[in-house]
Amino acid sequence: MRPKTSLLGLAMLVPALAMLVAFFVLPAVLTGVFAFTNMSTSTGISGGAYVVTGNLVKTLDERGIARPLLPKIGRTSYVVDAAGLAAAKAAGLDDRLVGDLDGRLKGRSFTDARDLEREIKALPSRPSSVRDLKRAVAVFERSILNNRFASAGEAERAIVALVPDAAPADVAAVVKASYTGWVWTTENFSGLASKADTWRILGNTVFYVVLTLSFNVGVGLLLALTTFYLPKRAGGFFSAVWLLPRITPVVLYTVMWKWFTWDGGFLYTVAESLGLPAFNYMKGSIPSAWTVVILVNGFIGASFGMILFTGALRAIPVQQLWASEVDGASRWQQIRRIILPQMRWPILFVTSYQTLSLLSSYEQIWLTTAGGPGNTTTVWAYEAFSVALNNYTGNLQYGLGAAMALILVVVGLTLSLTYLRLFRFGDLVSRPRIEF
Amino acid sequence: MTLRTTTIALAAAALSLIGTTGAMHAKDVSIKVWAGGTGPTADYRIEAIKMAADLLSREASVRGEELKITVTGQAWSTWDDFKQAVTLAAESGTAPNIIVSGHEDIGPWSKSGLLRPIENYVDFDAWPLNQLYPNLIKVATFDGQVWGIPQDSESRPFFFSRKHMAEIGYSEADLEALPAKVEKGEYTLYTMLDDVKKMQDKGVVEKGKGFLPRPVNGTDYWQFYLSFGGEMVDAKTGKILLDRQALTDMYQFFVDAVAKGVVSKTHLGSTWDTWHPAVATDKVGTFHGGTWQKSEWETKWGMKDFFGQVQATLIPAGNKRGKANTITHPLVYLLSKSGSEDDAAVAAELIAIASEPRINALHAVKSGHLAIGTAEASVPLYANDRWVRVATERLLPHASAIPNNAEFGVFWKAMYKGLESSWTGTTSVADAVKAVESDVKAALGDAIVIR
Repeated sequence: MRPKTSLLGLAMLVPALAMLVAFFVLPAVLTGVFAFTNMSTSTGISGGAYVVTGNLVKTLDERGIARPLLPKIGRTSYVVDAAGLAAAKAAGLDDRLVGDLDGRLKGRSFTDARDLEREIKALPSRPSSVRDLKRAVAVFERSILNNRFASAGEAERAIVALVPDAAPADVAAVVKASYTGWVWTTENFSGLASKADTWRILGNTVFYVVLTLSFNVGVGLLLALTTFYLPKRAGGFFSAVWLLPRITPVVLYTVMWKWFTWDGGFLYTVAESLGLPAFNYMKGSIPSAWTVVILVNGFIGASFGMILFTGALRAIPVQQLWASEVDGASRWQQIRRIILPQMRWPILFVTSYQTLSLLSSYEQIWLTTAGGPGNTTTVWAYEAFSVALNNYTGNLQYGLGAAMALILVVVGLTLSLTYLRLFRFGDLVSRPRIEF
Repeated sequence: MTLRTTTIALAAAALSLIGTTGAMHAKDVSIKVWAGGTGPTADYRIEAIKMAADLLSREASVRGEELKITVTGQAWSTWDDFKQAVTLAAESGTAPNIIVSGHEDIGPWSKSGLLRPIENYVDFDAWPLNQLYPNLIKVATFDGQVWGIPQDSESRPFFFSRKHMAEIGYSEADLEALPAKVEKGEYTLYTMLDDVKKMQDKGVVEKGKGFLPRPVNGTDYWQFYLSFGGEMVDAKTGKILLDRQALTDMYQFFVDAVAKGVVSKTHLGSTWDTWHPAVATDKVGTFHGGTWQKSEWETKWGMKDFFGQVQATLIPAGNKRGKANTITHPLVYLLSKSGSEDDAAVAAELIAIASEPRINALHAVKSGHLAIGTAEASVPLYANDRWVRVATERLLPHASAIPNNAEFGVFWKAMYKGLESSWTGTTSVADAVKAVESDVKAALGDAIVIR
């Protein structure tokens, strides 16, 4: 019977495993893969094509690559010859038009499609639609310039068909250079290391995480302790109020912060009436922007810490507190000697969890300061997001963004391990010394 | 055969003929249009395609064909969301058939295979494309192919508050002569800084509101690079050009403006919602914007007397190296890879028809943009509009465009980042320029010339 039960257990695990793979493992693996490519808007994600363009020919010429071949593939030509006329017939062009082409234009060649178009439009049997005109011109094209070939082989064959005596090495060089898609590279990482901006953003991130984390854990703990000592009903009420930042949808929450700190907002109006400097606090000065960023995130995190700490506090046997009161312990001594030592695990959990979520969070920053003023409140995750997915010029660098995200993953993992060691997680989960 | 059967046979034959011809020609096409940076006054970017669809269906019906075109449009008021949407939609195979975007997107988008070259679908020798301004077609051309049809053009003037200029001693005649002085380089950006400082010192303009540049990233900032003698493209090689001296002078100008107290240190990244009311209600000494913003100020921000309130000039030169300039940033209709060849052919025809002078004039005048072709300039609606006339005559002859280059976005991003960090004082001007240089060198290698 046992194997069957295990099979059933496995079957019940399958949906969870599939979700885990699809939403956690796969994105992380893909980030790792993308990080070693130069994927961007111009290379596309799904792979490229082989296109010889005028600019490419110019660049290759500058570098001295495939010189003898370049002039021959670097121009367009349209030739009205027997082969072209046969192709025209095969393409289903109007018979009278093919007849006119044969009779009046045979043997002529053109370097510009528009010249041939003009000639065709002067024929008695000119096509009645632009589309037919374009089709008529296309069959006479004898060039590869600006044609997109799906594979290297196709491109090679086209070049050889056009220039039969081309040296194979030259053809290969041109084909290789004509690839428009992404390639494997480690330049994302070396590029990041050499940029001054990288270190500034790193500094911002450390500043942001440390300050917000201290706020989260400190205020969370303070709230848990104060509500613990309050009468139950009042404590419950305060806890509920502090939960609001967490349960409010993030867009609404940030809009409320805007009303609070914006030009003409609540703080502005109050400051103005008191004769204090009134400006857009969210974006108007660097210290006030940082304060807003830290508080916006801090209030959300504080409520999270509060819930966990409150739960942990309730788990402490209340007899210990009674006993300490009999011994004449003050509130502070209770907290210092009884409560905090028993809270190590929840504090570890909140600290490490919040560190990781702060490292990777950018949405509140995006919705409030958008990394500004200037780019002074830009943190690593926000920068990765804007590099990869969202910026004004629309130049999305997926590869570079993924490299930045990968670094974040590595930092996160390292930090988690450090935390586990620091808080002696092993001790917490080791076998009890007393046998039950 | 009796008469009756003959009639029935004939009727049946006629019916079947109608049936088959109907089946042969009835064609349903759905065309999706997406437009970026498009506010309520620029709705003709999409409406024009709908009007074109109506015309094309009528033309088809005159030819005895039945063509039913359904156009659905979507407009984005910002650029970052729009470009993200287009790029990701293209990757997932759901891009719209027609994209209205800035011409600088042609570079990366054509390389990634997102676009069809429109020259393969339209006849530039036929009406109405044969009257388009050749320089605009050049702007829509990349790597030897015409990829898009110009949708509009504009220029980006520098504005002076007539009232505040008068308050520091400029006479009416001085103000009328200002555009010419700016054009000749006699009135520079630094003269402007001195003037707005005077306004602030006199108390006619609030501190930090003397000079209010564009609050966010935009093509506009390249104008200041040009004002200090920068060039975006190396004329000899056709590559992107980073002129270190011009970039340094440009950054220094904004740092000097901050030091003078005429603009705030944290101005970049502030919002349009504070910028528009400030300039529209004459709280600012000088500012720069776009021709199209006039209609926004009038319809949304309560500006009453545009010509009485501001004087428009070119962006003044910064120093002896540079000259007064303006940038035109034409939007283009682009044909995406989406849909069948048939859909693309219909979409291309719609774009061509939408370029009809009368149709485009509706967009130009409503949104404060400039004509795309010679014939449009004589459409009465356009010709009788004072603002587009001023912009066409005073500004457009000096306009240049940012280059079409697959890699220009990298340079742009680095330039703006450097501007942000030097403006806010996060780094020194020299360090900011060095950072731009190392950024573009790392990303572009020998695809950029550094001077």
